[in-house]
Amino acid sequence: MISESMEWSSLREMSDGLTNRKFSSVELTQHLLDRIARHDQAIKSFIHISEHALTQARASDARRLRRNATLGPLDGIAVALKDNYLTADMPTTAGTSASGVTFATEDSACAQRLRAAGCVLLGKTRTHEFAWGATSPPVSNPWDIERIPGGSSGGSAASVAAGFVPLALGSDTGGSVRIPASFCGTVGIKPTFGRISRAGIVPHSWSLDHPGTLTRTVEDAAIAMTVLAGYDPRDPACQDQPVPDYTADVGRSIRGLRIGIIDNHFMDRNSPDVQNAVNASIDLLKRSGARTVHFSLPLLAFGLGAIYAIELASSGAYHDHAVNTGLSIGYQKDVRALVEMGRLVSAVDYLKAEQVRMLLCDEFRRIFDQVDVVITPTEPITAWHKGRDTVGIAGVDESVLAASWRLTYPFNLTGLPAISVPCGFDKEGMPIGLQIAGRPFDESTVLRCAAVVERLLNLKRRPAMS
Amino acid sequence: MHTDSKTSLVLSDAPIGSLTGSPVKPDRLQELFKAYDPILSEISKLRGLDLSEVHPAVIFEPTAAYRRAR
Repeated sequence: MISESMEWSSLREMSDGLTNRKFSSVELTQHLLDRIARHDQAIKSFIHISEHALTQARASDARRLRRNATLGPLDGIAVALKDNYLTADMPTTAGTSASGVTFATEDSACAQRLRAAGCVLLGKTRTHEFAWGATSPPVSNPWDIERIPGGSSGGSAASVAAGFVPLALGSDTGGSVRIPASFCGTVGIKPTFGRISRAGIVPHSWSLDHPGTLTRTVEDAAIAMTVLAGYDPRDPACQDQPVPDYTADVGRSIRGLRIGIIDNHFMDRNSPDVQNAVNASIDLLKRSGARTVHFSLPLLAFGLGAIYAIELASSGAYHDHAVNTGLSIGYQKDVRALVEMGRLVSAVDYLKAEQVRMLLCDEFRRIFDQVDVVITPTEPITAWHKGRDTVGIAGVDESVLAASWRLTYPFNLTGLPAISVPCGFDKEGMPIGLQIAGRPFDESTVLRCAAVVERLLNLKRRPAMS
Repeated sequence: MHTDSKTSLVLSDAPIGSLTGSPVKPDRLQELFKAYDPILSEISKLRGLDLSEVHPAVIFEPTAAYRRAR
C-alpha cells in the first residue's frame, strides 16, 4: 500500500519499496500522476504526460514478479525528461512553438538507457526555448509561484521540487541544470563533458552542452549517474572511460579533503543571505575534517566574454538555417535575438574565446593540483520574481542572464563536473544552492562532498503547495 | 560595423548584412546591435589579450569519424 506522502520519498526509498513489494510501480506511477493532475496547473512543469506511463509501470511490475528480481534501482521508477531530449513515444518541442520546427521521434541515448534500466518515462518537462535562457516561462517555482524556477531546465527542477518525480533529466550549457536546482532547492549535477552521451539532445552549443540530472538527494543523483554514464560513439565528445558505482563513495568521510575557495568572481559579489549560507556550509565541512585553500583567478574577468562568444556563435550556427529561412521569426523575442546575434561574433573573437578557455582549463588544473574540490555559491542570489530583465546584486544591476550563469559557466567552459546541493534558505524562505566542482571524471568526490553537506545540514523543508 | 575604443556599436547601414552574412533587415539589425552592445563589451575584453602562444580549446581529431563508424 502506498503512503500519502510517497511523493517526497527519495528515489532510493521508492526503489526499496518496489523491491520489497510494499507497493507496485503502477501504484507509485498513478500516485504521481494524480499529484501532477492536482498541482501542475499552477507550476506548469510538464509540457507532455506520457499516455504510455502506466503501461510501462505494468510491464515493470510483471517483469519484477516474473524474474523475482529488479533490473536495478531505477526499475519501475517514474522519470521526467527535459523537452530537448528526443523520445520515441512522446513529442519533442525543445520549448519552441515556432511553426515549421520539428524533431525526430526516436529515443535519445539517455532515454534508451533509462528504458533499459526499467524506468517509467512519465513525461517531458518545459525548457526555456532551445535551452537558451534562465527563466523557463511559463514554469513557476514551487516555493513561490510568483518567482521563476531558473533555467533552462526549469520544468525539470520544478517537477522534482514539487514532488512530481524523484528524477528528471536536464541539460546544462552555462548552468542550466545547476541554476534551477539552486532556485528550486533540488540537487543538480552536470558531470564532466563527455561523461554522458549527448546523442539525441537538441544541440544548443556543441562544446558546452552537458546532460545532467535533477533529484531530491545526492544519493539519487549518484544512482542516476551510474545508469546514464558511459561511452557512446554517436556522441563525438563522449569519452570511453570506466564508469564507477557512483553510490559507493556517498556516505564516506571527507576527513582530509582539500577545498579550494576562489575569492574573486565567486565569493565577492553575492547577496548576504547566499554568502552567509555558503560560509556556514564551508565551516561545517571544515569541522568534519576538510581544510580550505584560497585562490585568486584573475582570468575569470574574461570568462563572460568567452562564453558569450562561443555560445552565441554556436547557437547562431545551429539556428542559421532557421534565421535564413525566416523560421526564427516565430521564436520567443529573447531567443530570436540571441540566435540572430550569432552572426555578429567574428571568427577571430570566437577563436580567442577558445584560447581563453584553454588558459582557464590550465588555471583550474593548477588549482586541482592542490585541492580536491572547489566550492562556490551556485547562484549569487535566490530566485527572483517573474518579469524582470535585470537584477541588483550587491549594488550592481546585471542582466538576468549574466547574473544567473556568472558562477556556473566557468565549469561549462572547463567541462569540469559540478553539482548544486541545497545549503539553506534566504529570509524570504527561498532555497540557496552550494556548488561543488571537481577534477575531470572525478564525480565521485564531488558527490561524496555534496552528500556530507546534505547530511550535516539535514534540511527538511518542502515547498508549501496548496 | 565600426567599434570605438569602448566598443559601442554604430551602424553604418550598407555592408553590415553582406559582411556578417546576416539576412535580417537593417531596422532589425539596429535592434540586435542595441541588445548586443553589452555583450560586445564583454567579448571585446578578449581583444586586448595577446594569446598568440595559446592553442585554442578546439582540437581537430581526424580519427573521430572512424570511431563513430565502429
